[in-house]
Amino acid sequence: MQIRDYVLRRMMVLPILIIGTSIIVFTLTRVGGSPIGIYLSHEMTPEEVAEIEERYGLDDPLPVQYLTWAGGMLTGDWGWSGVAAAPVRQVFPDKLGATMELSVAAAIVAVSLGIGLGTYGGARRDRLPDHFARVFSISGAAMPIFWFGILLLIVFGVGLGWAPIGRSDADLFASIAHPTGLYTVDSILAGNWRAFVDAIWHLVLPAIALGFGTTAIITRMMRSSLVETMSEEYVDAARAKGLPEKLVLRRHARRNALIPTVTVIGLSFGFLLQGTVVVEIIFRWPGLGRWMADAVLRGDQATIMAYVMFTSVLFLLVNLAVDVMYAYLDRRVVLGA
Amino acid sequence: MAVETASRVSVAPLAGGLRTRLGRFGEISREVLANPTTLVGVILIVAMIAMAAFAPLLIEPNTPDPYQMPRDWGALNEPPGTPGHILGTTQQGGDVLYGVIWGARISLRLSIIVVSVTVLIGLVVGSLAGFLGGKLDEFLMRLVDVFLSIPELIFALAIAAVLGPSFGNIILALAAVFWVKYARIIRGQVISIKQNEYVDAARVIGDSGLRIYMKDVLPNSITPVVVQATLDMGNVVLIGATLSFIGLAEAGLAEWGVLVSQGQAGISAGRWWASTFPGLMVFLWALAFNLVGDGLRDILDPRTEAKR
Repeated sequence: MQIRDYVLRRMMVLPILIIGTSIIVFTLTRVGGSPIGIYLSHEMTPEEVAEIEERYGLDDPLPVQYLTWAGGMLTGDWGWSGVAAAPVRQVFPDKLGATMELSVAAAIVAVSLGIGLGTYGGARRDRLPDHFARVFSISGAAMPIFWFGILLLIVFGVGLGWAPIGRSDADLFASIAHPTGLYTVDSILAGNWRAFVDAIWHLVLPAIALGFGTTAIITRMMRSSLVETMSEEYVDAARAKGLPEKLVLRRHARRNALIPTVTVIGLSFGFLLQGTVVVEIIFRWPGLGRWMADAVLRGDQATIMAYVMFTSVLFLLVNLAVDVMYAYLDRRVVLGA
Repeated sequence: MAVETASRVSVAPLAGGLRTRLGRFGEISREVLANPTTLVGVILIVAMIAMAAFAPLLIEPNTPDPYQMPRDWGALNEPPGTPGHILGTTQQGGDVLYGVIWGARISLRLSIIVVSVTVLIGLVVGSLAGFLGGKLDEFLMRLVDVFLSIPELIFALAIAAVLGPSFGNIILALAAVFWVKYARIIRGQVISIKQNEYVDAARVIGDSGLRIYMKDVLPNSITPVVVQATLDMGNVVLIGATLSFIGLAEAGLAEWGVLVSQGQAGISAGRWWASTFPGLMVFLWALAFNLVGDGLRDILDPRTEAKR
């Protein structure tokens, strides 16, 4: 099958998956009862309640309610967030900016550290660095992020007094413009060096906490695929023609070992996304994750629905992108599977 | 645990097959114990399960509900090493050691319930899809795809939120999320095994569909399920503790995630112990099952075996 056909077919399945997800999300929230609770107060008469039901379409049959909600999601009416005391759609961009900044920082940590450590260990198979890389990668999958984050706080925040909690110094950032919503980028754009350092300083610990698990996953994949490529014939051939080991590793082995690693990087994106909920709670980070956690504890249905829809669609898109990239990188992949 | 659940289903028509399978089980356990990292995992698992099983003997149960943290109002925020409170106490005077031990019992219960229920659901859904095929297969697998397109923790979080905050609902939420992988694994196995010649042979000699399923398809599907179930024994506790850390379990529960969450408040005052020990338990629990799960995969999967 041609790659183009494959991509087209995957794109055609995408809307089906998104619709399926939306049905599940809608059904799920309605299992918990009608969302009318947030509009009610004790003094209301049954007539007033009925009026509210009618105004928000809550007396319609469920399929109609679903279509109303799905239409709202598409047109930008995402409902009212009780937690934020504002329309979901209005609060969303700010929170998204904070979460994206954190996730990108964590991804940078994870990808650079993971590929580095995996290469270092894999190239020294069964020696000390390799054992270290393996133990590290196994412990990463088992590490509760909430505990790791708290340990970082105990050691670096309280014990050594190095790192602050929260997103940033509010006064400092009130003084500069926020065209992107990412504090690091905004401070560079504003040319404010102090603000930039402050933004980075606040970002380090949560990014490490969030990126730890992903680092471990990438390390593990990089190590094992490097070990595998190092025993391939073309690597032997490169050695036989007299290439120094360093170049064999860099030009021949590592490049091919990166192919499966790219897939894992994409797949671990979901892992990163869900980690933000916990990391944002621990580090008081004002992003989507903490908003979701608050929404969950206070039954803020509109926020929960918007958040789950948003993350699932993002997750689906990233997975699609990864699969397509993988197909381009490795033409041997059987695309029909 | 998962071995039991999985094989119990197929016991009756399988007496002969079961015996050879048990023989193989002995062989596998010897291999497992030969690998040092897997051995560490096994030892950890045995130790923690023993701790869970003998919890009432190790530390006196709280009355009336042993799963609630006891309160010692005369000993708030005591550091580790205090007589009577080796691991210190929480802000509410709860003994951290009590939480560590009874938390193991809660985690064991949680993981056994969730893993056995999800394996069963996965077995039924996956077998139906794989064996019957057609429209039903198409529908069930699209459903699986949709379930897999929502990140695990976020899905479980949303479900638990809808059901309302309680530990029982965390169990339900995890069950609703974790069955999907089993359905997919089993369907894949069923389809690949269905194409084998011995299944054709069985059909030719007149075996009924059900008999073929019980005798040939099911026993051969068990291997990857056992690996996944072992890994999930750890993952379930990891995600369950995360949900209760977020605040979806009852506040006074002797559960690791709850304890870590409540210990957070004292960190800036230098009281590190209330979060550290229960969190360490979650880590060790997940680590142990991951080590053993990985070890099992290497042994049971012929492809990795050839590679080594």
